[in-house]
Amino acid sequence: MSLLELLVGPFHYEFMRRGLYSAVLLGMSGGLLGCVLVLRRLALMGDALSHSLLPGVAAAWLLFGTSTASLFIGGLIAGLLTALGSALLSRMTRIKEDAAFGSLFILFFAAGVALINKLPTQLNLSDFLFGNVLGVSAADVRLSLAVSGLTVAAFIAFHRSVLLETFDPIFHRATGGRGGCVHMGFLALTVLNLVAAMQTMGIVLALGLFLLPAVSAYLWCDRFISMLLLSAGIAVLGSLAGILLSFHAGLTSGPAIVLSLGAIFIASALFSPRHGVIGVLRDNRGPTAGE
Amino acid sequence: MRYGELTALRNVTLGVPCGSSTAVLGANGAGKSTLLRAVVGLRRLSGGEILIGDSHPNHARPRLAYVPQRHSVDWDFPITVRGVVEQGRYPSLGPLRRLRKADVEQVDGAMEELGILDLAERQIRRLSGGQQQRVFLARAVAQGGDIFLLDEPFAGLDIFAVEELARDLRDWEAQGRTVLAAMHDLEIARRSFKRGILLATELIAEGPIGEVLEAPNIRRAYHARGDLPMDPVPRAAPEERRS
Repeated sequence: MSLLELLVGPFHYEFMRRGLYSAVLLGMSGGLLGCVLVLRRLALMGDALSHSLLPGVAAAWLLFGTSTASLFIGGLIAGLLTALGSALLSRMTRIKEDAAFGSLFILFFAAGVALINKLPTQLNLSDFLFGNVLGVSAADVRLSLAVSGLTVAAFIAFHRSVLLETFDPIFHRATGGRGGCVHMGFLALTVLNLVAAMQTMGIVLALGLFLLPAVSAYLWCDRFISMLLLSAGIAVLGSLAGILLSFHAGLTSGPAIVLSLGAIFIASALFSPRHGVIGVLRDNRGPTAGE
Repeated sequence: MRYGELTALRNVTLGVPCGSSTAVLGANGAGKSTLLRAVVGLRRLSGGEILIGDSHPNHARPRLAYVPQRHSVDWDFPITVRGVVEQGRYPSLGPLRRLRKADVEQVDGAMEELGILDLAERQIRRLSGGQQQRVFLARAVAQGGDIFLLDEPFAGLDIFAVEELARDLRDWEAQGRTVLAAMHDLEIARRSFKRGILLATELIAEGPIGEVLEAPNIRRAYHARGDLPMDPVPRAAPEERRS
């Protein structure tokens, strides 16, 4: 089999093309969102949040069927309940925020798993958790296109607010910026992207499509804009590689994409000249500037 | 300017003359940061009002430049010195408009004034503490206002950087800029500021710095909260208590 055949062959199949479109589109927006998650130190919170969407999505499915809007609203409600609930718990009891969030998200996740067992569908639990590229429908691709387009447009339109709110929220607010709106908009886009990515990535692995490209890009870039662009680029590349890997190695799509992105991340962490492990070890032999 | 009642700060009525430099002093949790944040609208007043000239702070926003504490941002952030200073122009540009030639000149001018133009393309972690503080000051200058509110600008600086910053702030005052700086160090305040405001959740004293820092005032300000009465430099001071 020629190299070209290896790369192009899988996409003779309609379902592989749909999986590819969906993964690449959401990689683009996920890569952007991931940068903000990483720089605002929300990586673990985002991971917990993604788990907590499950009961909302499952309940919406049970009640209203598979319409995209209802799945999104279900996920959004579950995510908001987790966030608000943990904020309330930590404020009104002696439980700290991280413990409150950790307890609620695991509770929500368990409720989601229990609900999915009751769903009248061919899909099984592992498709929800880890993704199944075979299940990507034309409507799912349209959803990915809409979500990705909305996210990219929001980043372009509000890139200054996003930069200020991420780098220095106090300064942003002191200069009249609507920090709260930017933050809420960001969380809503994150939930939207997580729900949209559920089909190919699964709810447990979806955040990998956001975080891994962003941390990889963080290791290479000293400018916010270049980090955003590189992160989106890495996510697109990793999605493509992952879809191919899943076809040739017979793997589930979610893990295959995360493994491809993981390879890029490990390579970056080792070899990035300025911020990688090898670069830092080399620099530490000489004098360093700054603190 | 007139300040009304705040939760972390109550019954504060005072005026700050235009073109003066004022040190805002007090123990931890005395309300120094709260006072500055109230002026720029980061804290809502539960009563009373603040006037800048004759207008509400929201209408005087272009005149105000706020400089947050240096440790409030992540210096590993992927951004260069120029990138931070350009942020000073964002409020007047809105979301989409590109930086015009005049904006770029203003950014360059601010970096020039603070002596960091040659560091413009450097990532901000690769700066000394004093240089980092100057990046924040340059961003404030680039905003183009004439009233500067600085939250603990001297915190964590070495002695040379402290002297340099004090000199810069005196220059600003000479240029007719109004400077309000929250700080711990009474000695720096005494040497570098004309006026002082001494707080201990309420106003202890205000006026010329020499009068404000008379022993009875200091005893009241620091004793009231159980702090050591005459330690002018509480080193390794914990973060300012939130309101």
